[in-house]
Amino acid sequence: MSNHLAAGGSGASVWLQELFRRHYTKVVTWCLRVAGDREEAYDLAQGVFVKAQRHLGAFRGDSKVSTWLYSITRSECLNYLKSRCPLNDSLDDDIAEALPDDPESRPEHAFELHSSVQAARVLLDRELTDTEKRVFILHYGDDVPLLTITRMLGLENPSGAKAYLVSARRKLARALRRWRASERLTA
Amino acid sequence: MVEARSRERSLLRKSLSPSHACATPLELGGLADGSLAQPGAAHLRDHVSGCARCQTELKLLNDFENAAPGPDEEGAVRWISARLERRFSEASARPSPWRARHGGALPRRSVFTALNLGGFALAAATLAAAVTIGLREGRAPELAQPSPAAPTVLRSAGITTLSPAGDLDAAPNELRWEPQTDAASYSVQVMEVDYVELWSAETRDASIALPPALRARIVPGKPLLWEVVGKDAAGRVVAWSGKQRFRIRR
Repeated sequence: MSNHLAAGGSGASVWLQELFRRHYTKVVTWCLRVAGDREEAYDLAQGVFVKAQRHLGAFRGDSKVSTWLYSITRSECLNYLKSRCPLNDSLDDDIAEALPDDPESRPEHAFELHSSVQAARVLLDRELTDTEKRVFILHYGDDVPLLTITRMLGLENPSGAKAYLVSARRKLARALRRWRASERLTA
Repeated sequence: MVEARSRERSLLRKSLSPSHACATPLELGGLADGSLAQPGAAHLRDHVSGCARCQTELKLLNDFENAAPGPDEEGAVRWISARLERRFSEASARPSPWRARHGGALPRRSVFTALNLGGFALAAATLAAAVTIGLREGRAPELAQPSPAAPTVLRSAGITTLSPAGDLDAAPNELRWEPQTDAASYSVQVMEVDYVELWSAETRDASIALPPALRARIVPGKPLLWEVVGKDAAGRVVAWSGKQRFRIRR
């Protein structure tokens, strides 16, 4: 008897059978949340399994199969979003309207002023809740639309990810104002 | 204004995209399950603990590992899985008619038939069973109540499981099933109700003892699932039990 199923131990075909048998539910569910539409999700899930089959030889067995499958799913989903769902700027317009009409209070502006990627990360980490960070990172770092983020993170509040993004931007704007004020004092 | 917004978005993307120090999904998985080798693991753990980007990725990885359709997703997942299963069956049953007729580029929905999938032919049969049984279990099955006079016999897609099943008085010591004549060995798996694996093993017998570490995780009131897959001497899947459910009474 041997504990833990070894990838490829009995040949690639058996390993593939195990792959599909064990993981199709999570792949299909994940693709549905990303696509938000069953036809699109079907195409997406199909692409994930085809890519997994094509890259089977590259799997070295030093990570969990589900982690390897996640990395493929993640990559396919981001490619799908880039090709199908360019960011809807009207959502960002809505968010901008919810904020003070002060260009200098916008976090993007301050980040640009100081050209400091590190500063942006520190502020983000210090000021935002975990969910706000996730929404901010997925939306601005990976170009994931807000409706998709709402489904991916299982957000159940009425406005979903949009509410978290508005809240995050307000907090960052306030933090930047405080930061600028302290800089003026020390100058 | 548009140009400024584009510049701002570009800057934000630069700030929030993974840096060269960030962990890959495979590294994050290795950190999470303890399989990442030292000393790189310690260095990476330090980075992840202070990196919102990596922590977001870790959360997504964990969500993926535990992904199961919610009530409003079950119908769509069932529909997608059934279509995938049909596509697999087609791929295993015949060569690609599209490629024969047209060659070259393929329409997106014909991608399975375009591949010469040696492994997929075998995978198709298993996926068909997996889709059917897995979807049947989309909703939590009722617990079967074993009769004290005779062992509970649950029949599903090939292998008959004997125990454990239903409500129990104590954590089971072993998993038992009826031997399958075509099976030279068996793979067993114990998992949470959302299919997250707790333990897996292989054996040539029709029963297997549960290790103490797993038994310690079987606590009163918490339902678990288990399944057994029979394989022939060449390692091909020949039978499957489907998922069986049990728990200890509170």
